[in-house]
Amino acid sequence: MINTLPIKHSELREIPAFHDLPDEQTQSIAAVMVRRQYAPGQIIFMEGEQAGSLWFVFQGRVKIIKQSLNGRIQGLCLMNRGKCFGSCPLFDMKKNPATAQALDDVTLFVLPEESLQQLKTRDAQLVKALLHIYSQRLEHLARVSEVLGSWTVSDRINDCLLTYAKRDSDEPIVELTHEKLAALIGTVREVVTRHLSLLEKEGVVRNENGRIILLNPNALLPPCACEDHKTSA
Amino acid sequence: MNVHVELLSKSQCFAGLSPRTQRCIADHSTLAEYALGSDLYRQGDPPSALYTLQAGRVKLYRQSAEKCQILALPYPGDCLGAETLPTGTPSPYTATALTAVTAVTLPPDALQSLLDEHADFQEIFLKLITNRLKQFVTLVHDLAFRDVTSRLAMVLIARAEVEGQPHDNGIAFDRLLSQQEFADMVGTAREVVYRTFKRFEEDGLVHMTRSSILIRDLKSLRAIALQEAR
Repeated sequence: MINTLPIKHSELREIPAFHDLPDEQTQSIAAVMVRRQYAPGQIIFMEGEQAGSLWFVFQGRVKIIKQSLNGRIQGLCLMNRGKCFGSCPLFDMKKNPATAQALDDVTLFVLPEESLQQLKTRDAQLVKALLHIYSQRLEHLARVSEVLGSWTVSDRINDCLLTYAKRDSDEPIVELTHEKLAALIGTVREVVTRHLSLLEKEGVVRNENGRIILLNPNALLPPCACEDHKTSA
Repeated sequence: MNVHVELLSKSQCFAGLSPRTQRCIADHSTLAEYALGSDLYRQGDPPSALYTLQAGRVKLYRQSAEKCQILALPYPGDCLGAETLPTGTPSPYTATALTAVTAVTLPPDALQSLLDEHADFQEIFLKLITNRLKQFVTLVHDLAFRDVTSRLAMVLIARAEVEGQPHDNGIAFDRLLSQQEFADMVGTAREVVYRTFKRFEEDGLVHMTRSSILIRDLKSLRAIALQEAR
């Protein structure tokens, strides 16, 4: 929702990207920015949509997520107060590479695409601030890749169980044989069976013929790259 | 060794720059050579120089106690390094030569003054950073949503698209990576790579030798690569 309350110069100053800009510059940037408000869970933009604005978080938190064709969600990072996201034209991208969703009641300052392009060509300070932001993002994504790439076979089996669980009864059920699970993960049946026996001993699952009952799905959540590095997002 | 402006204008990264800026980069750069297995820069080091690959191949990777994740395989003409110069934080990954490498090297202090004084270079550098960012977003997507088989197929397809040469019955490129390094690219164990490649060969999709990879059925391999299991 657009809030027509103008953005004050002092409010903009609270965003780290604008700390070092001279007063007259922040004033002219504040004048072209728009204030927007979102409720918890509301989608700010979708992956694949066209969007060229640069978004700054003034209040609340925003989740940046990616979604698979099957609807599975992977968090990329969490943007809290002062953080900035969006602006794909700077990436030479016509479409958003990820989805942004409000986690709480969120207030955002939006720098529209036309203004951004104009400012970019005559404002070396702003480009410097952007370089800083993208450089940080690069470090973060390198870490996320490492965490995802270092999932153990056990993490992958757990993740696969959560993905394929049917949730229409009290206890989620995975209707897959150990053989099929092994094929999906890229391992052999023995490894899956060993891991599932261990989980059964711990009371997390119950193995039945041709299916697996998840007794404690929360215990199966794999290490999350997003949460691990919340502070450095 | 000194660097000629012509060398820079051949690289796509610097093609759009004004002659004055190109001259300035050439004046501050050197042509450096790296032996197979040596590091251009290391994870945890202060921000590195900016390298433009002239010849040879490099792997960018993050290393922790027991695991290695390869993030990218820059190709001649690509730029790497100096990723964290804007923040002044340590390098987020290591760059190691996979072959003998020649690279135009622009040291961090010269890079910083170029960024401060040449607006067109600032724009190019922003593009370099964001291109790498774009690549990592794709990598995260693949790691999160595709299974090992799809990811290995994806690595082969992506390399065929950049490096592939038409061959009698398919597309061929240098093998370049060991089984362990393929495993480090897709986040799995060497045995899984061995088994998966063997299946690809049995199904007539690829043919592998010690030094080269031949893709015989690009269409079927692409279909496997695009499956999203998760």
